[in-house]
Amino acid sequence: MSEVSKVSITIPSSSEFVGVVRLALSGIATRMNFSIEEIEDIKIAISEACTNAVQHAYPNSTGTIEITALIHEDKLEIEVHDTGTGFHTNVLGSPEQKEKSEKKLGLGLGLTFIKNLMDEAHVQSEPGKGTTIRMAKRRPTDVLS
Amino acid sequence: METMGNPFSIIIDKDHLSPTVRIQGEVDIHTCPELNQQLNILISEGHKTLILNLEKVHYIDSTGLGIIAHAARNIQSDNGKLVLISSKPQIKKLIDMSGLKDKNISLFETESSALESLVS
Repeated sequence: MSEVSKVSITIPSSSEFVGVVRLALSGIATRMNFSIEEIEDIKIAISEACTNAVQHAYPNSTGTIEITALIHEDKLEIEVHDTGTGFHTNVLGSPEQKEKSEKKLGLGLGLTFIKNLMDEAHVQSEPGKGTTIRMAKRRPTDVLS
Repeated sequence: METMGNPFSIIIDKDHLSPTVRIQGEVDIHTCPELNQQLNILISEGHKTLILNLEKVHYIDSTGLGIIAHAARNIQSDNGKLVLISSKPQIKKLIDMSGLKDKNISLFETESSALESLVS
């Protein structure tokens, strides 16, 4: 079985640190020989996941966001986890969610962007327990040995 | 405002009939409040058409596009429109994905072609 390298970053749930995560993941993706376009896709997907946590996870308190990158032979897997308010996943894409997003001047397209830009995307959330967004981008086939 | 070494700036050029907002740096959750504030000022001054030059924007996500959509909604009732300038494939891809061009928002590759379209 091939080895999986793990890189973990924990940031305060604050907007100024989203760029730090983007930069770190961009570095990892570059080392994995992803193309410039694929690296841009990964940067947007990770930012959307972190932005979601910053905006919604800790409305009345402070908290942290844990980002884990798993470097597989054939893909980059990323997990963004918070222990904030969480939500019922059946509200995703609902008018209620769209309205909530528009109040924050958003488009409500964060998850859509993640799903469109990555090869895998999955949201797990439970009210009161937090949210985990997992996503993955397959490694370019021409760099696999 | 600075995002960990990536300077963000907004320059507003009022030399033409419609103001041109030249944005530089990364437009994300951290920097978009400043963009929102500047666009709101221009809209409150009565400008119906705004040109947003994104040529020096090297990163934008759904929060930045949300601010653009919000500004477009605010000027829609006055038959206003928002003109975006970008030739970058990644930004074009996100604009297509978000469906922004279905609203009162158009996209041009250069500032000169945008200005031509406004006078024609």
